[in-house]
Amino acid sequence: MSASSHVIAAAAWVCLLAPLAAVLAIALGGNRMPRRAAGYLATSSTLIAFAAAVTALLATLGHTAGNRRTITTAFGLIETHTLQIKLNLLVDPLALVMMLVVSGVGTLIVAYSIGYMKGEDEKRRYFAYMAFFVFSMLLLVEAANFFVLLVGWGLVGLSSYLLIGFWHERPSAVAAAKKAFIINAVGDAAMALALFLLVQHAGTLDFYGAGGVFKQAVSLGGNTWLINIVAAGLLVGALAKSAQIPLHTWLPDAMEGPTPVSALIHAATMVTAGVYLIVRAHPLFEQAVHVQQTAAGIGAVTLLAAGAIALVQTDIKRVIAYSTMSQIGYMFLAAGIGAYSAAMFHLVTHAFFKALLFLAAGVVIHALDGEQDMRKMGGLRKKMPRTFIAMLIGAGALAGLPPLAGFFSKDAILATADSGGVYDKMLLTAGIVGVLLTALYSFRLVFLVFGGEQSESARKQLAKHRGPEGPRWMTVPVAVLAVLAVVGGWLEIAGLWHPFSRFLAVVAPSIAAEPGATREWLLSAVSLGIALGGIWIAWSIYSARTQQAPKAPRALVEKLYFDRAYDLLFYRPAVWLADRLESWFERPLIERSGEEMASGTVIGGRFAAAIQNGLARSYVLLVAAGVSVIVLLFLVLR
Amino acid sequence: MLGPAIAWYLVVGSAIFAIGAAGVMLRRNPLIMLLSLELMLNGANLVLIAFARLHNSPGGQVFALAVMAVAAAEVVVGLGLVVAMARRKIEIDVDLLSRLRK
Repeated sequence: MSASSHVIAAAAWVCLLAPLAAVLAIALGGNRMPRRAAGYLATSSTLIAFAAAVTALLATLGHTAGNRRTITTAFGLIETHTLQIKLNLLVDPLALVMMLVVSGVGTLIVAYSIGYMKGEDEKRRYFAYMAFFVFSMLLLVEAANFFVLLVGWGLVGLSSYLLIGFWHERPSAVAAAKKAFIINAVGDAAMALALFLLVQHAGTLDFYGAGGVFKQAVSLGGNTWLINIVAAGLLVGALAKSAQIPLHTWLPDAMEGPTPVSALIHAATMVTAGVYLIVRAHPLFEQAVHVQQTAAGIGAVTLLAAGAIALVQTDIKRVIAYSTMSQIGYMFLAAGIGAYSAAMFHLVTHAFFKALLFLAAGVVIHALDGEQDMRKMGGLRKKMPRTFIAMLIGAGALAGLPPLAGFFSKDAILATADSGGVYDKMLLTAGIVGVLLTALYSFRLVFLVFGGEQSESARKQLAKHRGPEGPRWMTVPVAVLAVLAVVGGWLEIAGLWHPFSRFLAVVAPSIAAEPGATREWLLSAVSLGIALGGIWIAWSIYSARTQQAPKAPRALVEKLYFDRAYDLLFYRPAVWLADRLESWFERPLIERSGEEMASGTVIGGRFAAAIQNGLARSYVLLVAAGVSVIVLLFLVLR
Repeated sequence: MLGPAIAWYLVVGSAIFAIGAAGVMLRRNPLIMLLSLELMLNGANLVLIAFARLHNSPGGQVFALAVMAVAAAEVVVGLGLVVAMARRKIEIDVDLLSRLRK
């Protein structure tokens, strides 16, 4: 191991353990720690994690492209003759990208929380959970085997549950937390089953190394049935975590948590995990072609459905939530057709502009004392000019306007989809329609919130604040993210400059065909035109007055009936079954049997008490009789 | 092997044991009951030692020694009870000693 490998290994552990240390300190400190200190501690711990990630990046860049994988082992977790699982961390370009996004964007969001959660009584709990969330996600992305990845995967689900249900006095928040946890548990279970199969057939869960799962991918692929089941199990896990249809229903409800939590879930942690998993496990998915194509198809369906639903939502956070689903749909589409670097690129830029949108929305909500209904906003442009600009940058990046981040990353996805067969052309069409929807809903949000006249209630709320845009703890992270949402896309410019995909190519070389430069520019022009068209439509409908907006189709308001269908399919039958079990088994058999046992014991006790007559000689007689019976039995049965 | 055949030892041992058992079951005087108990134990001891001789192994004798130790301990407790009863001028009859039942 060279000196720089030691640096990388140490940085990986610091990056992982710093947030965990903050969690433990806050949890063990209890009341002795001031509430304010908890916020500073959580922020600085994620900042340390970010610094460690940067260190690891710089040290890794010093290696040649072929040697950029460092695996560091702490100790064995499960060690048997046939299966060895160790707690080992992996640092390679893919993990580094995720580490930087998770810790970097995470730091900004946690810092923002210091301002946003001011006056909250349970700040310590909040910041401990936030740091724990970052830790879980870092464990997920730094895992060097599927076992550790699954642990991180589960912990991410747990921390999202804790944070979505942070305001535990609200029944709706508790319900949303449970929903998120249960749907994620479905994914976790599917993934665990896939891993059991891998243990059985591959005999290891390590990603890399001589006998690693990915080395064996081709031989595993010889068994079509097996590889398809494994890939499908991983895909279901990814769908649940990344809120793709049909396991997406938890994500909009997760808006019940505080706004920075939504930003953390949507931008830095959690929902990107599914994309990461597909990119990380691409050798397996490439052996199961149909499963990978299904992933792309699901991504396309999700990006359309979520984009359409986002058009009619009235809650500012829910619009952004559906937009996340839609954008993750793009990433699934890209990962599904094998354009891994395009998927990861969009993941990174999305983290910037989605965190920006959420945090800017948080500033608005903060200024309006918790109001989230966009119909009651409007005209905030004059009172909150800086937030307006931030939101405009975020929406522009989301809609894919050059030179903002989303333009480059979305075009990279569309361009790779352009070069394939019929299926890819269908995906491309979905992607282009998605561009229209994206522009429409993102600028609908901007125009509804910031355009037009100020509403009566908004004016009243704003009058209460001296500085409506919040304390510096909130404005600075928003500003940083706004800058990132502008420059983040310059990591990769089609035809000119490809450092990002070249960096990732060691881990996940794209299998999608490279499009020609002319076609790519043409496609960019087309999608830009469509995006501008969408913005123009949004302007013509929503810029003037809210009341003129066309009536929303019922199916969209009902979120395409997914919640209702699940209610009918799963919830009601379960309740019915539980009711029947209660009236058929619980009451007659289990409850009654308790009573019967009690009365039987009383009767038996009375009988046994009669033998205890207190006469020593009768006891002796009984003993003698018993011994005689035993002796006789021996003699007879011998 | 020295002495009579094993069957004789068994007959004598069983007889002593049976006499003891009858005494325990039929007599009401605790002193006599203790005596009878000793008879039962010694009947068993006789059989144990007889078999030890027969098989030429010390196991039976060890057991017999253990039984004697137990018997000694038991007599200490039993006689202690009898003396306590006599001190309190309680009639010496085990059938009357059933108060703990109530």
